[in-house]
Amino acid sequence: MKHLFPISFLFLLVGITLQFSCTSPSAVQQEYKISLSFKPGEEAKIAEALLSVKDSTRIFLKKGLYKFDNLSIAQVSHVSIQGEGYGQTILDFSQQSQGGEGIRVTNVKHFTIDGMTIKDSKGDLLKINKSRDVVITNLHAIWSKADSTSGGYAIYPVMCKNVLIENCYTEGSSDAGIYVGQTDSAIVRKCKAAKNVAGCEIENTSHAQVYDNEFYNNTAGFLVFDLPDLSKRGGHVKAYNNYIHDNNFRNFAKSGSFGTTWGVGNASPGSGIIILAASDIEIYNNRIINNNSSAIMIASGFAIDTKAGEKINANYYPVPKNINIHDNTIAMGAAFPEPAYEHRIGKTLIAIEQQLNRLDPGRKNKRIPLIMYDGISSNILTKGVALNPDSICIRQAGDNVFVNADFLNIANPQHWKPDTNRKPFSCDLPVEGH
Amino acid sequence: MRKTYIFSSLLLLVILFSLFGEQGCKNKPAQNTDPSGRIGFQFKEKLSEYGFFKGKLNALNPRDGVLSYELSTPLFTDYAVKKRFIVLPKGKAIKYTVKGVLDFPDSTIIIKNFAYVNTVHQQVMIETRLLVRDPADKSWKVMNYLWNKEQTDAVKHITGAKVPVTLLDNDNNKLFTNYQVPNTNDCKRCHIKDDVLIPIGPKARNLNFTVPGAKENQLLAWAGKGVLTGLPAIAAVAQLPNWADARHFTVTQRARAYLDVNCAHCHTKGGDAYNTGLFLEYEQNNPDHLGIKKAPVSAGGGAGGLDYDLIPGDAGHSILLYRMNSTEPGTAMPELARTVVHKQGVKLIREWIHSMAKKP
Repeated sequence: MKHLFPISFLFLLVGITLQFSCTSPSAVQQEYKISLSFKPGEEAKIAEALLSVKDSTRIFLKKGLYKFDNLSIAQVSHVSIQGEGYGQTILDFSQQSQGGEGIRVTNVKHFTIDGMTIKDSKGDLLKINKSRDVVITNLHAIWSKADSTSGGYAIYPVMCKNVLIENCYTEGSSDAGIYVGQTDSAIVRKCKAAKNVAGCEIENTSHAQVYDNEFYNNTAGFLVFDLPDLSKRGGHVKAYNNYIHDNNFRNFAKSGSFGTTWGVGNASPGSGIIILAASDIEIYNNRIINNNSSAIMIASGFAIDTKAGEKINANYYPVPKNINIHDNTIAMGAAFPEPAYEHRIGKTLIAIEQQLNRLDPGRKNKRIPLIMYDGISSNILTKGVALNPDSICIRQAGDNVFVNADFLNIANPQHWKPDTNRKPFSCDLPVEGH
Repeated sequence: MRKTYIFSSLLLLVILFSLFGEQGCKNKPAQNTDPSGRIGFQFKEKLSEYGFFKGKLNALNPRDGVLSYELSTPLFTDYAVKKRFIVLPKGKAIKYTVKGVLDFPDSTIIIKNFAYVNTVHQQVMIETRLLVRDPADKSWKVMNYLWNKEQTDAVKHITGAKVPVTLLDNDNNKLFTNYQVPNTNDCKRCHIKDDVLIPIGPKARNLNFTVPGAKENQLLAWAGKGVLTGLPAIAAVAQLPNWADARHFTVTQRARAYLDVNCAHCHTKGGDAYNTGLFLEYEQNNPDHLGIKKAPVSAGGGAGGLDYDLIPGDAGHSILLYRMNSTEPGTAMPELARTVVHKQGVKLIREWIHSMAKKP
């Protein structure tokens, strides 16, 4: 009887060890049954290898320049495409003659792409559709020219689950550099994006964390959008420890005529962060510097679509709610960037600044406040009168921090009263985990 | 003595444990690769090896048991002339289904042949696509066969190809293009719904008509031969309008049938374009999903600077028409299987969008 304790303990130990060695997902992911290696000049072989790829394959692309029409991988599990590093292994898609993207990944589980530059496709650069456990790392996705001839999205996981985008750089997208759409659980970290219309956009995506990134010299640095009529609702997005600066680039998005549609064409040059029709968002500990039209903008779907209310369903609610903005370092430059004067929303922001200064000479011609809220709350749906019915919560030190821009009266100058009283919006932060 | 016994039995147990554990680890991937334990369908190297046709292969003269069929509204592929066949396993029949594709038995092979008409009005074979329902795992598999210049055979081809051709369109206009033979992943893109590969064309409603020159309705003929079971009274079977038949169908019916066949295999919930929220099935009646005053989601430059997928009465500003009318990659829709503009299709959709303005 005396021995029973040590014996059962030993059993337990053995059991735990075995359990661990069999089910540890990282152990399974590291090993590939098939390993293929290619060098420049073997483009046809690579395209064929990707088409006939089997489960558990690692494809290694040696350094050099590869020219592809397009590439695709579909319906497999556990595949890795590995280069020798960005700037070393370069995939050029300027010859693309068909399809919407350079690389397309569909229905793949455990997909990794690591260590290369992909550039100059006609449509999107890397689209990953309906896949899960996706890792995109050490990838540069760029268009040589940042104008409307560029494709839409550089890194574009959509309808995925569990996505990690890390140590990537995107440039030149005519929509968003990093665009995570209709996805559940995503992390974007240690990435950079420049000279895109939107640096990074999280759209109809839930449980996303965006941190330790640098988004600069885009039209808008970071966007969180929910759009109607899509497969899922976004929300529960956190952005922290990012450096979002100097996003004053002209808007060169081709889609939409800057204002009548939902798209990124609506982003005014000079936007740091835009939250549109999204809920349960926390923005904190970021440095948001020299985005000279609006450091942070919170807007409802009604700001760009009068029919937004008709589109409410389980996947869409046009009024942003539970927005928490706190402890960011924010500074704005002395004037609006030139391109803002050419842009519909840009002109609106300029008008807000002018109206504020007209209504209150005591402001002494200060800049538009750092955080612009369109003021279209759920009161519009409930006919309520509460001052802050949607828990827009702001805890930011300093002066000239906040304006409720009173968008509902913007067309009527006599009644239009942008309001800088931030008191109703200085609510307590929610307890972590609720 | 007792102590040694306990110790040795313990050791034995530990060894057994670790053996089982190892077995468990080793077995997992093996099970993943071959769940049935049987070898799946193997595609042959050449089309001729299947023996589908008799005489000259490119005449596509079917052997007994190879069933030819047509669709009332077919998919447009660069004015290609298509011949379609079904091969059923001996003694098996197709089961009628009200919705979606018919229920084909295991080992069914669906054959689709693509030819273009050259400038001297000859049909030149380009590719033959096979869809096979693999009995090993009951899933559909795809393969493409590319025809040789001599037109004597077609060879298995997975990477896709660009074939430069000068073809005659339906109005006998000469068109030069690089015809795109799809690669196997391209095939999957259009054929996958909810992660499962399925046939697209052979739905009862799109087979429910009398093929020109035939004596009776195609479905009735099949039922008569015993290759189709469970067919209800033909009047009770839904019918997809013939997109080109302006005598029997309205512009709206024809346009919606055209969009159903050319777009809805992707533009449907669970399809490749699920993320766009633009759903173009024949039975779709939600105006937002149909694109009416719907802003694009991820069209990027493909939207051409336009705001809405479809503006009633204003085809010129409707993204839907703009993309149908383009051959630029990134803009052209469908993204695959089309390198020239389908003028007649564009004309129909333009008429339809214009006609929508007249309704309140």
